[in-house]
Formats: sequence, C-alpha cells, structure tokens
Amino acid sequence: MFSEQAAQRAHTLLSPPSASNATFARVPVSTYTNSSQPFRLGERSFSRQYAHIYATRLIQMRPFLVSRAKQHWGAGVQIKKLCELQPGEKCCVVGTLFKAMPLQPSILREISEEHNLLPQPPRSKYIHPDDELVLEDELQRIKLEGTIDVCKLVTGTVLAVLGSVRDTGKFLVEDHCFAELAPQEPAPCLDTDRFVLLVSGLGLGGGGGESLLGTQLLVDVVTGQLGDEGEQCSAAHVSRVILAGNLLSHNTQSRDSINKAKYLTKKTQAASVEAVKMLDEILLQLSASVPVDVMPGEFDPTNYTLPQQPLHPCMFPLATAYSTLQLVTNPYQATIDGVRFLGTSGQNVSDIFRYSSMEDHLEILEWTLRIRHISPTAPDTLGCYPFYKTDPFIFPECPHVYFCGNTPSFGSKIFRGPEDQRVLLVAVPDFSSTQTACLVNLRSLACQPISFSGFGAEEEDLGGLGLDP
Amino acid sequence: MADQLYLENIDEFVTDQNKIVTYKWLSYTLGVHVNQAKQMLYDYVERKRKENSGAQLHVTYLVSGSLIQNGHSCHKVAVVREDKLEAVKSKLAVTASIHVYSIQKAMLKDSGPLFNTDYDILKSNLQNCSKFSAIQCAAAVPRAPAESSSSEKFEQSDLQVSSETQANNELTTNGHSPPTSKQILQQPKGIMGMFASKAASKTQEANKETKTEAKEVSSAGNKAPGKGNVMNNFFGKAAMNKLKVNLDSEQAVKEEKIVEQPPVSVTEPKLAAPTGLKKPGKKAEPVKMQQKEKKRGKRMELSDDETKETESMKKKRRRIKLPESDSSEDEVIPDSPGDYEAESPSPPPPASPPPEPVPKTEPEPPVKVKLYWDGCLSMCLTSQGPETMLNRPLLYSPGTPVDGSFLIPLSVGTTGWTFPLLTCGESSAIGHISGRLQRSGLGVVLFFMTSSIRAAVLPNSCWNFAK
Repeated sequence: MFSEQAAQRAHTLLSPPSASNATFARVPVSTYTNSSQPFRLGERSFSRQYAHIYATRLIQMRPFLVSRAKQHWGAGVQIKKLCELQPGEKCCVVGTLFKAMPLQPSILREISEEHNLLPQPPRSKYIHPDDELVLEDELQRIKLEGTIDVCKLVTGTVLAVLGSVRDTGKFLVEDHCFAELAPQEPAPCLDTDRFVLLVSGLGLGGGGGESLLGTQLLVDVVTGQLGDEGEQCSAAHVSRVILAGNLLSHNTQSRDSINKAKYLTKKTQAASVEAVKMLDEILLQLSASVPVDVMPGEFDPTNYTLPQQPLHPCMFPLATAYSTLQLVTNPYQATIDGVRFLGTSGQNVSDIFRYSSMEDHLEILEWTLRIRHISPTAPDTLGCYPFYKTDPFIFPECPHVYFCGNTPSFGSKIFRGPEDQRVLLVAVPDFSSTQTACLVNLRSLACQPISFSGFGAEEEDLGGLGLDP
Repeated sequence: MADQLYLENIDEFVTDQNKIVTYKWLSYTLGVHVNQAKQMLYDYVERKRKENSGAQLHVTYLVSGSLIQNGHSCHKVAVVREDKLEAVKSKLAVTASIHVYSIQKAMLKDSGPLFNTDYDILKSNLQNCSKFSAIQCAAAVPRAPAESSSSEKFEQSDLQVSSETQANNELTTNGHSPPTSKQILQQPKGIMGMFASKAASKTQEANKETKTEAKEVSSAGNKAPGKGNVMNNFFGKAAMNKLKVNLDSEQAVKEEKIVEQPPVSVTEPKLAAPTGLKKPGKKAEPVKMQQKEKKRGKRMELSDDETKETESMKKKRRRIKLPESDSSEDEVIPDSPGDYEAESPSPPPPASPPPEPVPKTEPEPPVKVKLYWDGCLSMCLTSQGPETMLNRPLLYSPGTPVDGSFLIPLSVGTTGWTFPLLTCGESSAIGHISGRLQRSGLGVVLFFMTSSIRAAVLPNSCWNFAK
C-alpha cells in the first residue's frame, strides 16, 4: 500500500539540511489509450424522440440476456416475445422495465390545471410501496408481479423474466436475471507499483475555506512537495490523476441573476468565474507534474445531459499549456498502463439512488455493472442525448476498475463475475466534504483512501482527524 | 557562513516580519529544494529552542501515515500543531513522514492562514510551480506558444485524436492538440461589412441587364461570396462602372445564391440600379402580389425564379432580423444625397442616370418595386406609369417581407415617398425599374439609411425623392 511503501525510506527531514536532496522522476506512462470515443458527440440534433434509444438498447441487450437466460434456466427454456405469450405457459421474456411511480415528479401533472398541484419539493427518494413494474418489449407491455423486487429495480433496466401470464393479464414472475458482466480482458501484470489517484467533488467556489487546505495538501502530495522522501518516492509512482467531476461547487450554480432585473446584475460576475480561475491554478500545478484527466460533473460548465462533453480548454489558459492536461467526457473510459478504467461523475448512481431502495452507492455501482448498463434511468429521469443508432451506455466489455464520483463516503470492493471477471469497484467520495481521495494500485488492483486534514479552533484532540481515541 | 545565512533569513522572517513561514514559502523565497526548506526550518527551530527556550515560536508539523479505519487502511496526511503531534503519531499504524510544515510567532487557531501563505507565494510563482519539487515529470512539457494558441480549438478535433495514443510518454497528442479552426463565419466587420454586402448586391444589380436582373434584385442582400468579392464590389462609382460593364448575369445569379447576413444594423445607402428591371412597373400591392407578376412574360418568369429564390433566400435571410437601431443609423448616414455621396463609402447613388436601356416590359399597373434594403430605412420610391401618379398614396402593409419583396410606400409627399422602417438582412437595395418605368421615366429609388430619404435612381424619371 502507499503508506507502507512510503514508510520504507528513512526519515530525513527532522534534521539539519543535507547537502543534496533527492529528486524523483515521475513514472513514465507506459501505455495510455482514451477509449471514450462513443461518448463524444459531434453534431447534435435534438429533433429525435427518445424512443429510439430504448429500442436500440433492447436490440443490443437481447442477445446477452437470451444467453444468460439459457445459462440460468437451462437451454430448453422458451424465450418468447410478449405478443406470443399464451396464458399459463411458462416461458421467458426479455424486455425493458418501466416502473410506474406515483411520486415521480411529472411535469405534466404539475402544470395540469385540473389538479392544481403545487410543485413537489425535492425528496431524497421517490419510491413508494405502490410502485408497479411493467415489462415492455418492442410491441407490447405487461405488468409484472411475483418474486421480483419492485423497490430495487429502476426504469430502463433490460432483463429477462421467467414466469407465466395469468388470466388477469399480468405476468407472474418466478425468477429474473440480468445480463451480468461483459467479457473481460485479463489485467496486465505490472512489475512495479503504480497508482492512479481518483478525486471527485473538489467543490471550488463553494465559499467554505476548510476544504481549500485539503485540496492544497492533495496537490502537494501528488506533486511531491509534501512529505518525506519515502512518501515523495511513492508519490512519484502516481502515474495519473483523474478528477471525476464536480470541480466546481453547487453554489456556483446560483440562478439568482436570472430572476433579477438586468440593471441589478449588470456588473456582477457569475460565481463560477472565480472558481474556474482557482481550478485553473490547481490544474496548472497538477499538470506540471502528472498527467491529469478532468471529467465534468453535475455542477461544471458543460452540457447537462449525459454524456457530458469535455470542458472547454479556453477556461484553463494556464493549465492547457501543458499537454499532460486532458479534458475528457463524463462517462470516461480509458486504458491506463493496460488497466481498463471506466467511470462517471456520479450522476447515474445518484439518480438510481433516488428511484430505488438501494442505499449504498457502492451497491448501486455494482448493480449497474450487473445489468450491464451504466445508466439505465437515462433518459427517463436523467437527461441524456437522444441516441438512435446505439446506446453507448451499455458495457461493451468489462472494465478492471469501475468508479463513480461524488458519493457521500468512500467505498471500494472487488467484485467477481461469473466468468472470472475481476472488477475493482470504487466509490470516490466527495472531496469538499470528506477530504478523501482514492489511490488505486494498478498492480494489485486495490484501492486505498487518502485523506487530508488541517486543524481548527474547535477541534477536540483528534476528532478532526477522524481518529477515534 | 553561507549555511547560516538561511538561519538568519528565517529569523528575520519569523521574528521581525512576523510572517508565517511555511516550507513551501521558504523554498520559493530562498530558491531551494522543498526538502531542504523543511530541513532548514527544523534546524532553525532546534537551534532557536536551544539558545532560548522561552522563544516565542510555534511550529506546525505535517504527519502522514496509515491508519486502520472502518476495516481498511487509510492513508492520512495531516497538518497538526506541535502539541498534538505526539498524539497523532501514536494513532498511526505506520508513520510515513513527519516534517516541519511551518513556523510562526503567534499561535494559530486554525490552518486557514497556512493555506493563504502558500496560496500567495504560489500565485507569484505559477510558472515554475514544480521547480523545487521532489518529483519531476518528463512528460509535462509546456507546449510551444504557437501550438497552444491553436490548441484552443474545440475538442471536436479530439475525435480524431482521442482514439489512440500508444504513446509511450507521449501525451502530447491526447488532449487538445489538433487545432480545429473555429469556424468563424466571415463576418465583414461592422460598417465595412455592411458596405461590402451592399456593394455586392449592387454589383448584382448592375448585372441585371436581363432577366437575371430580377434574380439579382432578389438576392440583393448580401450575397457576397466572400470578403474579397465584397471588397471589390465595394465602391460605388467603381462598382457601378463594373456593373455596367459586367453583364454577366449568370454570375450574378450565383452570387445571389450566397446569402450572407450583414452583421449589424448599419444601413447603407443602396443604390437603385436602374437597370432594366423585370418588374414591369410597380404595383401598389402587398408583397404577395409579386406572385402575380410572375405570370407576366419572360421577365416575369425570371422574376419567378427570382422570387422563389428570394423566398428561399428570404427564409435564410430572415434568420437574422437586424434590430432597428435608428440611432446608430442616424450617425452613420449623412443627410443629403450630396453629403451622402461624399461620406458614405458605399457606392453613391447613381445620380448619374443609369444608362442601360431597359427593354420595355409589358405595361402593367403594378407599381411594384422591388426593394432591398437593409437596416431601417425609409425609402423613397418613385412611382411609375403615367397613369398612376406619384401622388397616389399607396397602401402599405407593414411587415412586408424584405428582400426583394414589393414595398409600398406609406405616403407620398413632396419630398418623396416614405416607407415604413424595415429591417432586413440584405443590403442591396435595388429597385427594379421596368421598362415601363424607363419609359415613363420613373425610377425606383432606394434606400437608405434612416429616415432621410435619398437616392433615386433613374434617369429621366420624374421622380422626386427626398431631400
């Protein structure tokens, strides 16, 4: 682990100045490939309906589900379309789920005058015991009941259900299965420890100064200013830094200026301007020392719908001078030193969190891996571009490291798939509130959180450090 | 001794200047490696305390190491005050590093000032922020300025680049390298642009000797195929000459096809090229009436096409509705035709009668005048035909489409006819003068800027237009 390796060198800094000071060279990048091509949008046209994305999702996922169904329930299981169903006959159907939720915010209901409804206040979860699941395929839809966990599933999931149609017209589910993990290429064997630092939620421009010291300490550790020689040597093994979204804080998004009269807001500057300047300086420090990949997040100045396009380099005049800075898309996919990374800034996971009973972000992350789709709730409750040819959110292959940013707390787990796939799941916590980042060791595929702290006036002995007495 | 110099320096900073001396600050200030700065600080603290145990010196340390928390081993990096140092150290399972973080005279309540000190010194050393660091990265090479300026291209270019880089240490291709040039439409700037487009239209007008004239007229607006052309067409007299010479209507037609939207509302005096106009006569009808004209004769066919073209072009043109900025126009536009000629760079109205003999068209009632104008104008239009007199007020319906549509004046007075202010994207205003007009000596006049009316076109026409 990082710490142990760092501790191996002798401590030299609590001593008078020595004649020479060691300088370490950053580990060179041996191979890097950015495979986020499917998430780049060229010419965008919003004249299409969203039905196409569901259609192509089903078409693409059907073969995977059929083979999984055969694996689970035997090769002889009958796979039928909804239109071919006979009452009482046990068979398997592949389709897309739709969850009818009464609490789901619906713009039509809100503006409908007959209801005279006030807009619903935002809730943390919109699930309700009365939610119903409906399975839709190309032509028909049917309500589901039976042994299927309604609370947990969300709209947009493609799955295969085994059961039979009742006379009531509903489908009684006996079992269901997902597409499970895609095939995975074996992970490379590295001879030395190499780390990738995952950080998300820097939250600049947030007004609170506490996290700024933490951010500065983070940058100092990575660039090799902080720490003793051992730590600096280990830090030199950090081959890449990935900033997974929410570089700016939620506060920079204030929309007051929209509601105010022009004469009042004429000379005011958007809060994000200052924040972006600060971000530029931080990126400059980082990119002068290590390759950095910057992913946009929910509060960053780029498009809102998924896939979010890279931030524009004109915002970072200082940092773009370095070619080590790379601005990438929101679901981001790359092969770093042979290890496949795939991750998002967390919008997909937090959206599923709102519409499902699953509580743990890491659990949701694992679940998206199992259904083989990064963000099933797009475009239903999460904004998405109207794709029509392919659905780029389906996993073409299984990554080695799958992360999502801006989770409330750190989480990491190794998940094993049915065909011996091994995936490191990392829930990267929000830095502005937890002061914690993640160090992924590419050789061992393990993840260690790294946290920073300063000291404050009101702190108890060690409370601020999170150290329990 | 040189070695001791740093001690004195630190002493001065801390005691005399009452600064917070962080290792980073010291490193930049003295120009030494960060580790050496940390060691210097430690040395200073030790010596000072030895000399004078009551020295007023507060020290903060940086401690890092691993800690078992929630079942996993977490690496902690913390800045702690001296008094808490031992406590924190004891909690860590493995201590990776400890060093002096900062020295200051006063006790710090929280770590805010430490951040500020570091931030300030960093701001003044942004360009070489990793100069004294313990890690040097070979790949972090600033791009050459030429490259970097072109790298402000939109990452659409990344589409090609992002796919692969089997670069070993070669990170340059990833990222924003390929400069895709921003597609900035040629926007002739400001007034020049306006003139340019107008000039272009004028050229076209001139070209309409024959049938295509109609087309030209319609396209009048800015069909400058390019700035170059536009500039060439720019000048009034020169242009007119050119126009007269250039009877290549085909070309004009092509030019028409290019629609270019003039950037601003600066309007220009347009010249009514009194070339033979297709519109046989003017009609005091709303634009729609122009359709009828199509039915007439050959010319009409042309105008037909023209109209269609116009229509389509109109559609294109209509995208940009220039605001009616009267005030700006006023500034720009000179008052009298004479002045106007002198001042406005655009081709002065051919006060000189356009000599082209325009073939006569069938007599027609219509006082249709095809006008193109841009910006807000009042137009002065001259009427036609012996029967329909100048004095006959023509009804005008506001909102008449611009560009080549028929415009009907609001009123007819002694100083000319006034048209409502219109905005339009096209800059050339050309009147059609039909044969009839010619015959009757009526011309069409066009436009100009603002409320003053000017221009006129037409030879032997008894028109009067404005001042």
